[in-house]
Amino acid sequence: MARVAQRAPWVSAIGWGAARFLPIGLLLAAWELLSHSGAVTPFMLPSIEAVVARIARDAGTGELAVNLGLTLYRSLLGFAIAAVAGIALGLFISRSAVVRWFFDPVISVGFPMPKIAFLPIVVLWLGFYDVSRITMVVSDAIFPVVTATIAGIQGVEREVLWSARNLGASERRLQWEIVLPAALPQILTGLQVALPIALIVDIVAEMIMGGYGIGGAMATASRFADSRGVFAGLVEIAIVGFCLVKAMMLVRRRLLLWHPEALDAANG
Amino acid sequence: MTAKIVVDSVNHLYRPPRGRPVLALENISLDIREREFIALLGPSGCGKSTLLYLMGGFLPIETGAITVDGKPVVAPGPDRGIVFQHFALFPWKTVRANVTYGLERQGLPRAEREARAQRFIDMVGLTGFEDSYPSQLSGGMKQRAAIARTLAIDPDVLLMDEPFGALDAQTRHLMQTELLAIWQRSPKTVIFVTHDVQEAVYLAERVAVMSARPGRIKAIVDTRFDKNDPAVHKSQPFVDKVDELWGLVREEAIKAEQREAP
Repeated sequence: MARVAQRAPWVSAIGWGAARFLPIGLLLAAWELLSHSGAVTPFMLPSIEAVVARIARDAGTGELAVNLGLTLYRSLLGFAIAAVAGIALGLFISRSAVVRWFFDPVISVGFPMPKIAFLPIVVLWLGFYDVSRITMVVSDAIFPVVTATIAGIQGVEREVLWSARNLGASERRLQWEIVLPAALPQILTGLQVALPIALIVDIVAEMIMGGYGIGGAMATASRFADSRGVFAGLVEIAIVGFCLVKAMMLVRRRLLLWHPEALDAANG
Repeated sequence: MTAKIVVDSVNHLYRPPRGRPVLALENISLDIREREFIALLGPSGCGKSTLLYLMGGFLPIETGAITVDGKPVVAPGPDRGIVFQHFALFPWKTVRANVTYGLERQGLPRAEREARAQRFIDMVGLTGFEDSYPSQLSGGMKQRAAIARTLAIDPDVLLMDEPFGALDAQTRHLMQTELLAIWQRSPKTVIFVTHDVQEAVYLAERVAVMSARPGRIKAIVDTRFDKNDPAVHKSQPFVDKVDELWGLVREEAIKAEQREAP
């Protein structure tokens, strides 16, 4: 106990950071041990250094940048469309009984449905282009945004709305200046759920449709029995997904500076 | 003296999302004078807050009528400011931004808004907390901010819905004294909903006692005391008045209590 207390604060900070990611380190170590143990062939499980070398090679040839860029472009554009459309739809559903009557059952049925199953027909309609992939991303990512927006708006206190009306807010201003910011914490939670969904759906669509993109590159590698290429794609997706989720958390912190959760984090 | 607010034979049906409608207010008639401080006193669930919301224009008036300065109430308006029990501040805005919001809606230029907001923030004793968010404030400070926000738009009528009900006893007493000081400096017509007899007698000039559901006006009692006397709480006439009103409210509280029981 006493020895721990004497350590410089940065030592314990690094210690905590290392402790948090220790499970990942253990899994990587297990991967490395298994790949060198002789129990599996390098084809089934290539070693980490082989996969890293492959990623470095792809980075050198520029292939990585193209694939990564396309995957990010498709999933983030789809996510952005889902965010804007989802929040707008949530607002309309909360405001109008007719819109609610129409969309309530559509959402109940549509949310649990595997939208990716529509890909073959979407390809027939929209072709083998990015439009199809982005449409798939939007169709999946929009649901958590809509439901979170509706729940957030429902949770706005009646007294807060009354106060705003009392202070002279028009109905239009009420939506923009009061309802949306009051519902923002839940809307952001919906967006945090939607973001990894956008990435997953895009990669699956790329795998099915082929072509460039990390998912497409993995499908191609698999077809040519190139297991290093497949594993390289997996590692790339894991890193990209982690960074996107982290970035979204930072956005949330920044937007919810006023929220008790952010204030607690600042004090703690 | 002419009446500032006239409540004329108002009934109100409360329609719960499920179940049968309940008569919340029955045949309420009440004249409120210009610049008077009147308390609506009654047991919980007697509809006193509902009556306040009707005056504020937040709920539709179905039967009867309410007029302010002779004009019927149809919607909320900045002429009738409201303060809620749970503050209803905008949590994503700082204290200053909360107070300037209504001034912005009135189209005041920025410099004037800021100056006016500062005056009311100072008045309620929140100097130094202008840039704090509501979640960083104590309950008493939140209510001070809410009062500043409402006073800043300079309403003729101040509707207060158990504004000190969520505060601890010391803070409540402090806020009562300060509210009286503010009211004495710039008299407004105040309608103050409470279930605290002592608070009603101390603050108000008249107390309207309401019956258990359906809410009716059971009695209107004069409660004028010298509010600046620090020992007024202990004076015999004050104590007698509290006793008298407590007697009136107790019967209703018992009735309400019995109805709650299965």
